[in-house]
Amino acid sequence: MRMNLVLELLDIPGQLVSVLEPIGGLGANLVTVIHQRDLKNEKGMIPVQITLEGEQENLNLVIEKLNEMGITILELDGVVRKERLSTILIGHVIDTDIKDTMDKINELKGVSVVDLEVKLAEELESSAMIVVEADFGKKSFVFDKIQEIANKKDLLVVNEV
Amino acid sequence: MSEFKICLIGFGAVGQGVAKAINMKKQSIQEKYGKKLKIVAVSDSSSSAITEEGLNEELLLKTKSKFGKLNKYPEYGSDICGEDVLDSVDYDCLIEVTPTNIENGEPAKSLTLKAFKSKKDVVTSNKGHLALFYKEMIKEANLNNVQFKFEASVGGAMPIINFADETLPSSKIKSIVGILNGTTNYILSRMTSEGSSYLNTLEESQQLGIAETDPTQDVEGIDAACKTVILANSLLKIDATYEDVEVVGISKITSESIDLAKKEGYLIKLIAEVSLDSLKVSPRLVKKNSPYAVEGTLNMATLKTDLADEVTVVGKGAGSLETASAILTDLINVIRTK
Ligand SMILES: NC(=O)c1ccc[n+]([C@@H]2O[C@H](COP(=O)([O-])OP(=O)(O)OC[C@H]3O[C@@H](n4cnc5c(N)ncnc54)[C@H](OP(=O)(O)O)[C@@H]3O)[C@@H](O)[C@H]2O)c1
Repeated sequence: MRMNLVLELLDIPGQLVSVLEPIGGLGANLVTVIHQRDLKNEKGMIPVQITLEGEQENLNLVIEKLNEMGITILELDGVVRKERLSTILIGHVIDTDIKDTMDKINELKGVSVVDLEVKLAEELESSAMIVVEADFGKKSFVFDKIQEIANKKDLLVVNEV
Repeated sequence: MSEFKICLIGFGAVGQGVAKAINMKKQSIQEKYGKKLKIVAVSDSSSSAITEEGLNEELLLKTKSKFGKLNKYPEYGSDICGEDVLDSVDYDCLIEVTPTNIENGEPAKSLTLKAFKSKKDVVTSNKGHLALFYKEMIKEANLNNVQFKFEASVGGAMPIINFADETLPSSKIKSIVGILNGTTNYILSRMTSEGSSYLNTLEESQQLGIAETDPTQDVEGIDAACKTVILANSLLKIDATYEDVEVVGISKITSESIDLAKKEGYLIKLIAEVSLDSLKVSPRLVKKNSPYAVEGTLNMATLKTDLADEVTVVGKGAGSLETASAILTDLINVIRTK
């Protein structure tokens, strides 16, 4: 049985070895490794695609081990893993064109708004809770972008920690 | 039995707490560390009580509460104040607990530098001079070969600076995320439990003495930003000052936003973030059952480290005796090295 993973690793020598070493002992064999150096992000992390072969239970152990080691798994067998991120915008949320705000968020690569709830307040300053689904590992990118969009509309952003 | 002479400048909530704490603990400190603690000078903004013989803590507290000043302290009360106090008596350690000033760090800065020059150790709860001139203050302490301790300046009784330095020296601290201001945490907690508006809750907090008459420093995140700078410098070795912190306060948080957060299982907290990438104080969403979900005036901080992973500390961020506890701990650590 084969399993394709895309891991997010620091682009420094030895990083891959330190990840692969514990895998060896779990009864799974490494078939291929592809470093996607051109996709390095601002934190110096790159996606590394690996293909493993082994029994399902051994492959499961590998996933467990990677999670335990705090390694981000971006993709599993071609499926991009998603995480839910929440944020609240406070201010003239409606007057500053909420639809445009949503569109701008949806335009971000690998990001989509899955939930929106607005509460109007007497003082005119309303609040909007926005829940997005984003590709795993994109949290700080998404929040930075939302902050940028909100700054232009003079909205206060309350992002998840 | 040798003596350890203390000069205490600032006799407000914290200064009086220090006098009480010393009164409560001097006997056990003497038994444990072989030093007899003696307060030889105390001053407030316009008066002082000074004697080489040592002042009586209870009498100091009584005098201050009865007259509002210290010049009526029997026999040793005077109008000497400011830096002159440091020249009028011989002492071993200055405990500096004057108000935090983030315009120019005074009077703390001048008092502290003067003590350093006379080769005296200094313990403080003040944040102003540290947030503005951290590097300079530490450099002067080192040049004069004296100790400069400020555990109480961040998180009051919550252990953090000494904790990281002395309990976790094996681990490198990568980031600190925490709640470093008790007043705003109280306001946000009450808004959450009562569904009340920001302004009503602020007013209630002022009536209870939790928020000050001018609450700007707390609610606009200035106080938390000062602490962010102190942690950045002392624990992450980031050469930063107050200017480098991105600050957003809580005054724009509405009860509606708190409601929305609640529905999704979140609370809104004023969070300070200290890392190489970011120095920031801002309202953030935290999960209801996470370590960030502390209530009332409590402070907390999660230290992310390389070896120990995450370690979280929680404690009372303010209060007279609580803050004095951190000052006394610093003082004991100074005494231990003598
Ligand atoms: N309160 C807390 O729980 C807490 C917690 C952590 C850190 N801190 C920090 O600890 C420090 C003291 O706080 P606090 O709550 O005790 O303040 P406070 O109650 O306002 O007391 C300040 C004291 O300093 C005196 N003072 C003012 N200007 C002075 C000057 N130029 N020279 C000498 N003394 C002067 C005041 O004199 P008068 O009595 O004559 O007005 C007063 O006795 C501040 O830097 C604060 O940020 C406080």
